[in-house]
Amino acid sequence: MRASAAVLVLGTVLAVGLPTAWVVTRPEPAAGAPVTAVLATTPATTPATAPPAAAAAPRVAAAPATPPPVTTPVPPVRLEVAGAGIDAPLDPVGVMPDGAMAIPEDVDRVGWYRFGAAPGAPGGTAVLAGHVDDAEQGLGVLAALRDVQPGAEVRVTAADGTATRWQVVGRELIEKQALPLDQLFQRAGPPRLVLVTCGGEFDPALRSYESNVVVVAEPLG
Amino acid sequence: MSRIRTTTLAAMAASGLVGSLAVLAAPSALAADTATVSVLHAVPGVPVDVYANGEELIPDFQPGTLTDPLELPAGSYDLAVYPAGSDPASTQPAASADDVAVPAGANATIVAHLTPEGTPVLTPFVNDTSAVPAGQARVTVRHTAAAPAVDVRAGGAVVAPGLTNPNEAALTVPAGTVSADVVLAGTSTVAIGPADLSLAEGTNTIVYAWGSGDAGYQLAVQTLSGLHSSPSGVPGGSAGQADDSLPTPLLALSGAGLVAAALAGRRLLASRV
Repeated sequence: MRASAAVLVLGTVLAVGLPTAWVVTRPEPAAGAPVTAVLATTPATTPATAPPAAAAAPRVAAAPATPPPVTTPVPPVRLEVAGAGIDAPLDPVGVMPDGAMAIPEDVDRVGWYRFGAAPGAPGGTAVLAGHVDDAEQGLGVLAALRDVQPGAEVRVTAADGTATRWQVVGRELIEKQALPLDQLFQRAGPPRLVLVTCGGEFDPALRSYESNVVVVAEPLG
Repeated sequence: MSRIRTTTLAAMAASGLVGSLAVLAAPSALAADTATVSVLHAVPGVPVDVYANGEELIPDFQPGTLTDPLELPAGSYDLAVYPAGSDPASTQPAASADDVAVPAGANATIVAHLTPEGTPVLTPFVNDTSAVPAGQARVTVRHTAAAPAVDVRAGGAVVAPGLTNPNEAALTVPAGTVSADVVLAGTSTVAIGPADLSLAEGTNTIVYAWGSGDAGYQLAVQTLSGLHSSPSGVPGGSAGQADDSLPTPLLALSGAGLVAAALAGRRLLASRV
């Protein structure tokens, strides 16, 4: 009788307590300011738009239309997140045939979306993304992104040796369908840095995570 | 520029240019009552003054130069170009175009250039500012030179065959740098280039072939940016090793607890009866 009662209590504690404890000890899926709120803030310095022209046509500037010289921007080559153990080489990446952002195959490398802003550009959001894991390679360098806390310092080094410093202001787990792509990849507005990897629940059938871990940082100093 | 030609609305409508200006303007209407207009001077040799509705718009406009985009009130414009410094009251225009419709929201480039026969003319072109897929660039080539039909080649391959003055061809290509040249249609006789062209992602890079046999042929480039699209997603993992669902061992242990509790509960109930 007593034994049965003890088993009943123990069993119940095990059945309810384990998942509860697991959930409680999980890192919070979000910390700091919501990503969308940060990215939605209007630029501090709105470029002055030309006032509507009066009835009389205004005078205008003209410049030679000769083909401009082909210039190559200095790409970022290294990403470090202090305290999170993230130190990864960066590769310039574009888009895949299906239109999704291309990500380096190597989970220890991180991709910089080369069509968007470069870290350190006067405006726009620079996007860096990497795989959270791979069946053969194991966990990726950005797996640690889920534990990055607001205030953490991010450092991005460019190919010419110059570095930019950033401070994390928010982290969020966002369902892929709800990812605010136009905000993440915006090329106007104040300079921002966005780090993206996968996270949340995994769908083995699709071999895909249901969400993205998104960290947004603002320039430091 | 001694030859004088007046391009009437009817003449341009016949070429389809004015008509397309009016029709294509509607979908890209951003500003309620203004249009974006740029002007390119592609007549070799002669600086001009550009007048709109009798007002001087661009003084001393040099060949081969392009204005910044102008926000003009939508409406109808009488355009004329005169040799630089001349008095419009007593001088015949080198070229003119009356009643050019500039609808609200339109983005257009008005080009002063030569016809295939070498006569100065004003041609308005509508610029395609629709979004470009992520990773791509739109390139538009316009024949505004005193020359017969040409083929435009990129990397040695013909991308715009049989282009005639004053027409255009547009294609969407992966962003990057291409080596472009212009050849006489159906031949490999290079008329212009080759020149390295940077086709930046999310832009419409408009390339004008202009000039004449006497003055030489050149390329002019106008770039419309901000037409980019976002990637469709960020795929970031494929193994489930960072899965956020309850791990299987925990799930099993929790289930075992539930079963044990249920069995014990039954025994308790049974022993009470």
